[in-house]
Parts: sequence; C-alpha cells; structure tokens
Amino acid sequence: MPDGSFSHPQQRSFNPYTENGGTILAIAGADFTVIAGDTRQSEGYSIQTRYAPKVFRLTDRAVLAVNGFAADGNMFVKKVKQRLEWYRHAHAKDMPLRAIARLIQTMLYAQRFFPYYVYNILGGIEEDGTGAVYSFDPVGSYEREACRAAGAAQSLVQPFLDNQIYFKNQQAAPGQSHPLHLPLSDVLSIVIDSFTSATERHIEVGDGLEMYVVLAKGRSAQGLEGGRGVQELTTRTDGDRVFVIRRELKKD
Amino acid sequence: MSIMEYNGGSVIAMVGKDCVAIASDLRLGVQSLSISSNFQKIFPVTDRIYVGLPGLASDVTTLHEQFRYRVNMYTIKEEREIEPQTFAQMVSSTLYERRFGPYFIEPVIAGMQRTPSGSYEPFIAATDLIGCLNFAKDFVVAGTASSELFGAAEGLWEPDLEAEDLFETISQTLLNAVDRDTFSGWGAVVHVMTKDKVITRTLKGRMD
Repeated sequence: MPDGSFSHPQQRSFNPYTENGGTILAIAGADFTVIAGDTRQSEGYSIQTRYAPKVFRLTDRAVLAVNGFAADGNMFVKKVKQRLEWYRHAHAKDMPLRAIARLIQTMLYAQRFFPYYVYNILGGIEEDGTGAVYSFDPVGSYEREACRAAGAAQSLVQPFLDNQIYFKNQQAAPGQSHPLHLPLSDVLSIVIDSFTSATERHIEVGDGLEMYVVLAKGRSAQGLEGGRGVQELTTRTDGDRVFVIRRELKKD
Repeated sequence: MSIMEYNGGSVIAMVGKDCVAIASDLRLGVQSLSISSNFQKIFPVTDRIYVGLPGLASDVTTLHEQFRYRVNMYTIKEEREIEPQTFAQMVSSTLYERRFGPYFIEPVIAGMQRTPSGSYEPFIAATDLIGCLNFAKDFVVAGTASSELFGAAEGLWEPDLEAEDLFETISQTLLNAVDRDTFSGWGAVVHVMTKDKVITRTLKGRMD
C-alpha cells in the first residue's frame, strides 16, 4: 500500500522480454543462398524505427538473420561475430557454415533457462559449394533446409514458399519432375513477392527490405554487379561472395 | 481454449473475370482429434449464392437452418430470389441480433449479383462473428487458417482470372494454407460459379 505497510498482499513483476515484429526469410539455391529481412522495428502498435537491420554478414560465406526480441538479437549477433573472430585468430581461416550452425546451437542452448528470445536463420555456402539454410528455435534446435520463413509473418509467408519453392500440392507435367533448386532471378522474385504480400497484410512488416545474396566461389555474379540498390560486402577475392540488395517496402 | 478453434475449418472466396469461387476444407475435429473428413461448411443459398460457415460446428448447422428459413420467407414475400448483396445484409443482421451472445461463425458469401442492365457481376463478402461486413474486391478468408490463407492468396491471386485459372488459384491457395494449419485440412471442396453454371470439385489433400 502507499503507506508502505505489508498488511495487504502485494505483487510486483518485471518482464525482460518484448516482441519487436518483422519477418525474415532464407532460400537456398544450388550454388547460392538468399537471406532476407524487412527493416521495420516495432513495439506493440508503435514503430520504433523504419531501419533496424535484422540480417547480418558474418563471413564471406555466412549470413545470419535474427528475429524476435531485438535487444537479444543484436547481443546474440555480437557474440557470434566475436566467436568467429576468435576462430579466425586461432585457425587463420573462416569457420565453415555447418560449424557456425553447431556453434549457434551451443550458444543458444547455453541460455536454456534464460533464453535469447530470437528465431535465427543462418544462410550461406557450405564447404562443398552448395547453398544452405539452417533454421533454429530460441533454444538451439536446428535443421538444414532449402527454405524457411520466421517471425511475425511466418504464417503468411511459409505456405507460399511451400508452394513456390517445394512445389507442394503441384503435380509435375507427365514425364517431368520439379526442379530441386531454382535460378537466382526466380528466387529473388519470390522473396520480393513474399515481402510485398506480408507488408500488405501484416502491420508489423514493411518500410524496407534487405536481401543478402551469397554466391559460391566461381559462380558468375551476372545480374548482381552494378544492379539497382546492390552493394558488394565481400572482404577477400577468390572466395565466396556476399552482396546485399536493398528495396523499399510500403510504410503504412 | 478458443471456441472459434474448437472444431477447426477454413473458408476462402475469390473474384475472377465474370466468375467467383468459394472453397473450404472438409475437416471436423474436437480440438486436436479429427472426427470427420467430409464435413461440409459451404451451402448453396440460391442458384447464384453460396455461403461458407467456418467456426463452431453446432452453430454451422444452426445458422444454416436460420438462413434457409429467412431466405425462404424473403422469397415468398418478395416473390423473387434474394440477391447476394441483400443476402450479405441478412447474414450481418442475423449475427448482430446476437451481439452479446454471438454465434461462433465467420460467414463468407460468394455469388453472382444481377446488375441493372440484366447481366451478372461477381460478388464476395465476409463478416466477423457479430456481422461486421467486409466487401472485398479481390478475396476474403475466414477460419483457423486465415493468416495462412491471407499470405498464400496475397501471393497467388491476380485480377481478372478466367474460371479455370481461378479454380487453380483458389485450390492452390487453400491446399497450401491448410497444410500449415493443424485445425484445417483433410480434403477440400471448391465451387466455381459463372453466370450460367456452378462447377463443384472435391479435392484430395494431405490427410495428416
């Protein structure tokens, strides 16, 4: 009570988590991977900023998208980057993608009883040169997949991806089969369509779109280099390459 | 425990070029337990109107009978068939009558509306459980898979689809949406209506 007495039951609470909206998505190709996320950050019905990146370059062959509680997400990315730097100093090379995936699992599970409130999607190029996507739950359960959506509009985007990437509920023409991997231009179109659709129907998605493209070593960057809103983030030549493509999304 | 999700089920309607389509899944469940894979949620009202009633299964029956009664009374009094627009208003007022003890149904209406020139134009509408009408020009969705349906439909639908293409679009939208919803699925039914006929197809779907 205001008089400070304890004659009545009292309760106090503090909630250390919040949801900051937004959606992320990754699709693996035969020799490339696209990892994308919108840039809106919200809390409840308020927009905190229209540009808060959720997708981060880790190495020349790995990109991490983080969605959920933004404070935890940023801290988690910071710690993953730190561990990757230590690995570089110890081994004089970048950590392979599947090793980064296992590292993320152990880092998430280390916080099993006070978790990072984030869904992670790791995308990049495997040591054998194939495109790969790893998706995680907040406590480190993970799986390698060809495509995955997570975040506020996961329920809107994932059925569309099932249909367009995995060709679910579609029958191939007689004597033919569905392709296992789509070309980069098709994948980028599907990613843009997914986010414009999610922006249209979900209030927490919009403002900007960042699509990271990781290309396997030796793959032609035709159509990417010098394209509109394209920037190369690769640090070393003669390896895998990372690009980012920025697009506007509706702001309402 | 949400009453809206007690029995599961989803409905969607889409507009095409001189045609409309309405489709639903066929599941009836009690929470996670599936009971029937042939539970119809879409009913013909007239030759040119269909109504889909996703929500609490007992209220599906009650409301279907209620609508049948009111449409019959309208037909006798007016000596003509009810128009889709009018039927939508009837659905709305029927639900709002129970504003403080609602039927747990979110109806979807699809039909061909007669114009003053004597031709027919596509009509779709949906309401919430207390009868707030939504006259959309593209598509409407309702049921436990509504967010999945919104995402899939927003990605697949385009304006002025011919009847056959509209059938493919609504079928793919529904099938892929219900496959990501545990409360919907177990087969589907699709009705495609043009000015002079309705084509009804029952679709096979994932049974898990």
